[in-house]
Amino acid sequence: MEENRFDRRITFSKSGRAVYISHLDLMRTMQRAFKRAGLPIWYTQGFNPHAYIMFPLALSLGISSNVEIMDASLTEDIPCDEVTKMLNSALPTGLKIIKTAIPVKKHTAIKKAEYEIILNAGESDFNEFISREKIEIKKKTKKSYEKLIDIKPDIEVLGLRCTGGELFISVRLPAGCGLNINPSVLIEAFSEFTGEIYTAKVSRTRILDQNGEEYC
Amino acid sequence: MYREKIEKILPSVQKPARYIGGEHGSVVKDKNKVSVRFAFCFPDTYDVGMSHLGMKILYGLKNSVDDYWCERVFQPEPDYEQKMREEGILLYGLESLEPIKDFDFIGFTLQYELSYTNVLNMLDLAGVPLHARDRKDLSPIVVAGGPCVCNPEPLADFFDIFILGEGEKVNLELMELYKTMKEKGAGKEEFLLNAAKIEGVYVPGFYDFEYNCDGTVKSCTPNRNGVPERVRKRVIEDLDSVYYPDDFVVPFTKIVHDRAVVEVLRGCIRGCRFCQAGFIYRPFREKSVDTIKRNTKDLCKSTGYEEVSLSSLSTSDHTRVNELLAELVDYTKDEQISLSLPSLRVDNFSEEVLNKISTVRKSGLTFAPEAGTQRLRNVINKNVSEEEIMRSCKIAFEGGYTSVKLYFMLGLPTETMEDIEGMADTAHKIIDLFYSIPKEKRGKGSVSVSISCATFVPKPFTPFEFEPQATRQEVTEKQEHLISCLKTRKIKASWHDYNVSLLEAALARGDRRLGAVIEKAWRRGCKMDSWDEYFKPDIWWKTFEDLNIDPEFYACRKRDYSEVFAWDHLDYMVSKSFFIRENKLAHEAKTTPNCKEKCSGCGVKKECGGVYCGGK
Ligand code: SF4
Repeated sequence: MEENRFDRRITFSKSGRAVYISHLDLMRTMQRAFKRAGLPIWYTQGFNPHAYIMFPLALSLGISSNVEIMDASLTEDIPCDEVTKMLNSALPTGLKIIKTAIPVKKHTAIKKAEYEIILNAGESDFNEFISREKIEIKKKTKKSYEKLIDIKPDIEVLGLRCTGGELFISVRLPAGCGLNINPSVLIEAFSEFTGEIYTAKVSRTRILDQNGEEYC
Repeated sequence: MYREKIEKILPSVQKPARYIGGEHGSVVKDKNKVSVRFAFCFPDTYDVGMSHLGMKILYGLKNSVDDYWCERVFQPEPDYEQKMREEGILLYGLESLEPIKDFDFIGFTLQYELSYTNVLNMLDLAGVPLHARDRKDLSPIVVAGGPCVCNPEPLADFFDIFILGEGEKVNLELMELYKTMKEKGAGKEEFLLNAAKIEGVYVPGFYDFEYNCDGTVKSCTPNRNGVPERVRKRVIEDLDSVYYPDDFVVPFTKIVHDRAVVEVLRGCIRGCRFCQAGFIYRPFREKSVDTIKRNTKDLCKSTGYEEVSLSSLSTSDHTRVNELLAELVDYTKDEQISLSLPSLRVDNFSEEVLNKISTVRKSGLTFAPEAGTQRLRNVINKNVSEEEIMRSCKIAFEGGYTSVKLYFMLGLPTETMEDIEGMADTAHKIIDLFYSIPKEKRGKGSVSVSISCATFVPKPFTPFEFEPQATRQEVTEKQEHLISCLKTRKIKASWHDYNVSLLEAALARGDRRLGAVIEKAWRRGCKMDSWDEYFKPDIWWKTFEDLNIDPEFYACRKRDYSEVFAWDHLDYMVSKSFFIRENKLAHEAKTTPNCKEKCSGCGVKKECGGVYCGGK
């Protein structure tokens, strides 16, 4: 660990208008928020120094979350609670810091994520879809032809309920630098199965390590 | 609710963050607690419009009043517009996400002629009748400001009000008047009659045009009692006390100019005879170094931007430019912010200044000699000599620069092939200069010079407002000649499409009869004309032809000094007799000193706050 570098792992929420900020734009947005907050960001050393802010697990555009992780390094040992407070005073609407901590696990420890999907669909349709032997999706390979892969073994449905004509699906999917399945892939496959087009509201609810424990 | 409809289509379009607001610095108010709502429309995309300084100033200004709420509106990219139209979503303000047709004011800024079809498109997308006469209620009042309103006649049918000159005071006066009139239940006519009494407010519907048999303007006269014969632009006398934002809306997505911008001065001392900005923004006024420093610190702090740029027509003309730069370089260095200076002029491009910029940023070097020979530079009153360019290039090459960009205009009054050859000569001399510097003293590698040629477009309120634009054939011949003069691959030449320049010229000096052309061209699918990939010249020319209107009548006709112009009833303070005098001098290739050297009595009054105005 370099001198004068203080790592922080920041948990934040992304909701409302902020769900449309892309991953790349979020980086810039956070950088400017640090600057506005007066937090002294640590710059990477070397030929092309840049502010050290990184997001170990990207969140797709349109998905809200209360569990997003941002790692940042500071040049001063500012207490975690102080970091939370200062950043919150500088963030645009829809982005909110929940807590700041010292990082424990490596980025590669992220293995799964849980989502809540709200769909205008029937419970039985979804049950029929999910209990098939195989759920195949098209995946573009490097050589740019499409390959069918079966994602059935990777989907863990944790709960299913229907209220007011809306279906609430709680699901755990692989995430991180190994296999990563986006909930939109699941919704697309379901949509293909029923032939209907859904407007879905998706939120990420947990980020987990290989033991199913909260990533921290 | 509206927002839900919007959010339904957002996931399916490119960069949706541009269409939902919520950026740092965007102002959301309770609509029940404000009395005037203003939709500030930039008739181009978010990426372009969000880079525009005037919008940031007026947005901040209006929102600084508790009682007013100003929102931003842009022309959506085609993919989003199509989705909006399919889903029946009307153009909305980015802050409230509510349709702007229900606002009190819909205001456009007219920065360039090629955005005119976007104005109509946006009104249509907003569900607002295009023609002012078809909007009978008090609201929405459709207004416009910006440089193009110095001849707004081609758009006169569509607007209730044009705002002439600088907007900081007149905008608030207009909104205040509106508020009072709305409270007492006044109608549109009554409001407009009162508005027309405010200096800087031009109500086109209160004036009638007559034309001569040869197609020129005969007269423009008021058709109501109590409205002025000529409408004068507004000027802010004191830039140190006028409103300047201490925060900007900071976009999520990348935009054209994504940085803090501090205005350092207004107006220009130079009087280049082709340059409209040089005349309509007169007189030259500047902010004090202290104000500029304060603005810079405030903005950098509150936006978190990592880059700040100084804005003006010519930053090096600030009376204390060296002190200013020294202070700003120190501040920005400490804060790890980069400083960019887009408008430094070649003729006082000192070594000292160059060193200061290069500590901050080293990019390509650009010069705008505008014309290829000294004679023609005298004609246009562009006070740049070849020696000065060479001197600056030498300093730059020794400082490590290896590429130079030269901006020229083609088709200037009195231009001959000799002037075209002059462009190529200048470029060749720069190449030779580079190789005359010992290897170890100059930048590494090879040198390159790019020549960028714009077709000269004569504009209202310039000494060249009488001049014809070069025809397509003349321009083509000159371009070909230029190419034949280039002897090395190290020099590249490029130019804009002539169609663009011709349309710009016709609209710039057009009159009310062009309203029908713009409307029809838009109905036939023309919009986003300033984008190469969307510009449809064939439709434009066909529309002109179908309506029996000749664009060359407006663009390529030599006009007499005695001709009545469509903009003669608008008073930008610089007098027509001055323009005639300047035009004559141009034809004698005689220059006019800049305001700092000697006031030429252009007509601007001393009371306007100009640093050099002689008080005549
Ligand atoms: S009045 Fe004189 S100093 Fe003022 S802008 Fe005109 S020419 Fe320049």
